[in-house]
Amino acid sequence: MPTTFFGWVGFLLEQYGPLFAAGTAMTLLISLSGTVLGFIIGLLVAIVRTIEPPRGAGPVRRALLGAAHALMNVYIQVFRGTPMIVQAMVIYYGSMQYLGIDMDHTAAAIFVISINTGAYMAEIIRGGIISVDKGQFEAAHAIGMTHWQTMTTVVLPQAIRNILPSVGNEFIVNIKDSSVLNVIAVSELFFQAKSAAGTYFRYFEVYFIVAVIYLVLTLTVSRILRFVEKKMDGPDNYVIHGSQSDSRAEIHVSAENEREAVKRWNA
Amino acid sequence: MERVIEVEGLKKSFGSHEVLKGINFTAEKGQVTCIIGSSGSGKSTLLRCINLLEVPDGGRILYHGQNILSGAVNMPQYHARVGMVFQQFNLFGNMNVLENCMAGQMKVLHRSRAESEQNALKYLKKVGMAAYVGAMPRQLSGGQKQRVAIARTLAMDPEVILFDEPTSALDPEMVGEVLGVMQDLAQEGMTMLVVTHEMGFARAVANQVVFMDGGVICEQGAPGEVLTSPRSERLKAFLSSML
Repeated sequence: MPTTFFGWVGFLLEQYGPLFAAGTAMTLLISLSGTVLGFIIGLLVAIVRTIEPPRGAGPVRRALLGAAHALMNVYIQVFRGTPMIVQAMVIYYGSMQYLGIDMDHTAAAIFVISINTGAYMAEIIRGGIISVDKGQFEAAHAIGMTHWQTMTTVVLPQAIRNILPSVGNEFIVNIKDSSVLNVIAVSELFFQAKSAAGTYFRYFEVYFIVAVIYLVLTLTVSRILRFVEKKMDGPDNYVIHGSQSDSRAEIHVSAENEREAVKRWNA
Repeated sequence: MERVIEVEGLKKSFGSHEVLKGINFTAEKGQVTCIIGSSGSGKSTLLRCINLLEVPDGGRILYHGQNILSGAVNMPQYHARVGMVFQQFNLFGNMNVLENCMAGQMKVLHRSRAESEQNALKYLKKVGMAAYVGAMPRQLSGGQKQRVAIARTLAMDPEVILFDEPTSALDPEMVGEVLGVMQDLAQEGMTMLVVTHEMGFARAVANQVVFMDGGVICEQGAPGEVLTSPRSERLKAFLSSML
């Protein structure tokens, strides 16, 4: 048996390397799919919550819209107002005892993370929509776009760019908080670590390894998200077309040399 | 003369504040109407009501004799026929210059991509912005943005264009380029309603000048009458403050 800290770390990695790898993969799977599905749920909820009853809408339509808004409000309040670990227990054992559904552990975990994330995302996306300048809605409406067209072509692309840091944050939170789903026995990283730690009673070493793995995951994801944000902003440069037919007449413009290039073009 | 837009007894309040207190006027085909008045007089609200960005509380707005408030008029089609140019340009921030001028054509008029692009380029050339098709709005100056915004509106082939203080947010040296484009449009017979503080433009281009004050139309008529020999004290005071 190893006697030093690093000795134990090395030993445990050798013994349980595949276990840690499988747990890491599961953590990534449930947190990524939970974030993506939660984003879609949040998007739908946020869009519906920003619909105002159209002019001259009848009482039935108004009541339906009102009911939909109320229902979504309840959803957000309930899932933001209770811990995910409790939601997991209620959903997993509730569906087993009262609906007779024996959910697959992984499916249950993804389900819980998705609807939990959806409640947060709905508010994040609503904030993103509100952050888009009112003039963008007005210009789209003035050109004849419907609410749906305005949302999908003009507002949401800008809203999503604005909220990308918050969405990334949710993903990182999910990577970490998916550890609570060990209570429904999904084989994510923390759950795997528990069984590894119990065998040799080396709790400190095992959870030290696990902490490093979580940190590497979250740091890597932050980096990737920053890169995506940069990509979404598009190039800082653009091309002035001196001629529609002759590509040699292009002037490449970047923020720095724009004034210079335009001057040349005008000369 | 063919009446394109008629406004009858138009009223609009924001809370307890009555901004429009019964407005009546007519815009005829091919005519340029300049709406002048101090800020808070209701001129922008009037324009926004005509485009239904604000819902009027009373009165009628007729487009070719049809009341657009009755629900009988197809709204996207109406919006395509009655374009609007904003003080703050409001170019779509997620699209480049060309896409800005194509989005409405494709989504609202269901034109093909090729047709939309051709049409967009035609109007971008007209406003002198064809060289910038690939630029994003944030990379353009105010005057350039407003010219693109005009091209975006023109690309919908509208019958009427509403201009809401189109040069008020521009640096002085850029006002000329936008007014020049508007003057060309007027000469080609576009029906235009222009809320403006540019008295020189109103004098040179308008067929009709409407002076609003406190939510009502105080005076209206040919620019020669209204701007050179104002009858009311309010208009006299307003015009002397503009000099």
